[in-house]
Amino acid sequence: MNPISIAMITDFFHPAVGGVENHVYMLSANLIRRGHKVIVITHSHPPDRVGIRWLVPSLKVYYIPFVPIASSATLPDFFTFLPYLRTILIREHIHLIHAHASLSALGHEGILHSHLLGVRSVFTDHSLFGFDDAASILTNKLMIGTLKHVDAVICVSHTGRENTALRGGLYDITESDPPDFRVHENVYVIPNALIPERFKPSPPKSSETITIVFLSRLVYRKGIDLLVAAAPRICHKFPNVRFIIGGAGPKLIDILQMREKHLLQDRIKLLGPVRHTDVCSVLTQGSIYMSTALTESFGIAILEAACAGLYVVSTRVGGVPEILPKDMISFANPDEDDVCRAIGEAIRIVSEGKHDPILAHERIKTFYDWEQVAERTEAVYDAALKAPAIDLWERMQRTMSLGVFAGPIYTIMLIVDCLFFLFLEWWMPREDMHFVRAHWNQDTFVEVGRRLLGDVRR
Amino acid sequence: MSKEWEKVLWKKQAQPDNYVVPGSFLRSLRRNANFRPYTYWPLVLLSCTITQHLATIFIFVSVFVRLKQQSLHPPTLIWVSIACFSTGYLFWELLDTTGANGEHRRASRIKTVKSSILIFLALMSLSPVLKTLTAATSSDSIWALSAVLFGVSALLADYSAISRGSPEVHERLTSVLSINAAISASVVLASRLADDLAVFALVLFSVQAFALFPRLRRRLGLCHPAIRLAVTIALFSLSVVTTWSLSLTVTRIYSAVQLGVTFVAPAFLVWAQNFKNEIRGPWDVAVPKVNL
Repeated sequence: MNPISIAMITDFFHPAVGGVENHVYMLSANLIRRGHKVIVITHSHPPDRVGIRWLVPSLKVYYIPFVPIASSATLPDFFTFLPYLRTILIREHIHLIHAHASLSALGHEGILHSHLLGVRSVFTDHSLFGFDDAASILTNKLMIGTLKHVDAVICVSHTGRENTALRGGLYDITESDPPDFRVHENVYVIPNALIPERFKPSPPKSSETITIVFLSRLVYRKGIDLLVAAAPRICHKFPNVRFIIGGAGPKLIDILQMREKHLLQDRIKLLGPVRHTDVCSVLTQGSIYMSTALTESFGIAILEAACAGLYVVSTRVGGVPEILPKDMISFANPDEDDVCRAIGEAIRIVSEGKHDPILAHERIKTFYDWEQVAERTEAVYDAALKAPAIDLWERMQRTMSLGVFAGPIYTIMLIVDCLFFLFLEWWMPREDMHFVRAHWNQDTFVEVGRRLLGDVRR
Repeated sequence: MSKEWEKVLWKKQAQPDNYVVPGSFLRSLRRNANFRPYTYWPLVLLSCTITQHLATIFIFVSVFVRLKQQSLHPPTLIWVSIACFSTGYLFWELLDTTGANGEHRRASRIKTVKSSILIFLALMSLSPVLKTLTAATSSDSIWALSAVLFGVSALLADYSAISRGSPEVHERLTSVLSINAAISASVVLASRLADDLAVFALVLFSVQAFALFPRLRRRLGLCHPAIRLAVTIALFSLSVVTTWSLSLTVTRIYSAVQLGVTFVAPAFLVWAQNFKNEIRGPWDVAVPKVNL
């Protein structure tokens, strides 16, 4: 497709660290390599991350002076972002915005405002949400309102697509019995990817002791209760097994107590928080990776471990069953006995030498690749740009269908947003703006980017 | 590259990224999987405990008003309290389901007698202090405060019954808060009374009504529905009779509230179940099963 200008909008970006942050960066870098112009709009991290910064390779980041309220997300106030967004989109000649993460208020606002400028919108959902607790109900209600305006939605797994379609009302339902759900055409599944070069397996070790690696935040949702229950049983049953546990969190105390109670100080090693750059060196110390998460939309950590040549044991939750072929992973139900059984199975496979780390690494290389992700995302952009524009009247009708209470509220917001936009058009006319012009040749730029990436790989 | 579409992410598939096998979308969705519909009359029976708690509050308030008007003689109230305590304790013993042996029972009875004497004496010695506790506060604030506290108590009270055969369960935090709110309300009301004996009588009565009766009520929950109904009707009639002679308007409002709580609210809940739409799927947070 022809090169276009894309604005990534999310609350979660560098210098914060995490799955979404990394995804946005890698996707942007690969889109730039494919010849597009990409900018990122996120909130600032005072005192030193403010204003505009450039990241390698030629990724321009706007840090908007908004204050995050909780875990790096800003307050959803629906209007304050418009003046910034309008100026940036006009100055940068943006064709399409790409919002990330359903908890990012900035991203949702971007979708709400972008149609005023005739800019198309794409939304990527990275997480799974339930339907039965107050936090989920509220965030789902916020999301369903903005998704009435979006041109295309990307989810990171098939399970994630079912979840997002339900939460965002992105399906039609037929009258048959049982009712048949038809997901909208503009909902896509594009998985995450990883850089296989960063997770190279180490040469095979002696098979005397088998090391099980557990690497995650130590919180309830990661199933630490299962780990605490299963680890002593596994240590008791297999005298040649030891554990390496990395990560920090409120459940650390449970693990410490378990270790003390069963006198396993020499078998269970606790590393504390592990930096992302050290993950690989921790992973390659082991031969089995254990994940007991209770919910997981994609499970990038599992993929990284498998790429580093570890055999994976995981609970069968969320999107995890989709990410690896059956011979590289053992599944357990989220109960203590079954986790012990699956670990036993994994220990047998590994000690019999049936799992070849080098081969596993080579296979993962062919499965996931950022270049392909960028290519597939490009196809979504293309479809979004070609999709017929939704006019204001239809937007209002769609918004009114949200419900008896939410519908009018969102419609009023939509109208106020339009008026606010007209006011800005009068107050800060486009003619007075200084437009951004690139004084460099895009082809040379792409070449430099390619060389840089080659250096990284070497 | 196989032609057949699979629900996996690692394989390169021939189909576009928005492809769905027709009819397969959301097949793993389950609706109202753990849903057991309520029926009307059992709900009415369950709401009886709320009726009982409200009735206790109104009986208590009418007793206070009589003490304040000095139409109720404090020693009478003390004797009534003691009689209530004895009957209540008798019921408590009869309904004991913990199945403890004789030795253990005797020990616990001695403990009960000891602590009841202690509370009796402590309240008696504290009543002059309680009488002047809120002397500097105006009566209007006291009425408002006690109304709010009684409301909190009714909201937070533990209306569930203990399960049969299980040992005495721990009190939940909310039910402890409820007892605290009710006792505080009675203490601030008691501080409006004229003499020490009246203060003592009222606080003693409040301990019976708000600390001891809720525990007995939880045990009563195991009894035959007829007994629970009888207790509810008795308490409700008593509260109406005691309030009637004080204010007709209050009695009317109170009776309407009680009818609403007992008969209309359960009907509303049964009707609202038509809109129940519980969605379960693979994205839900799994519940870890751990052997204890």
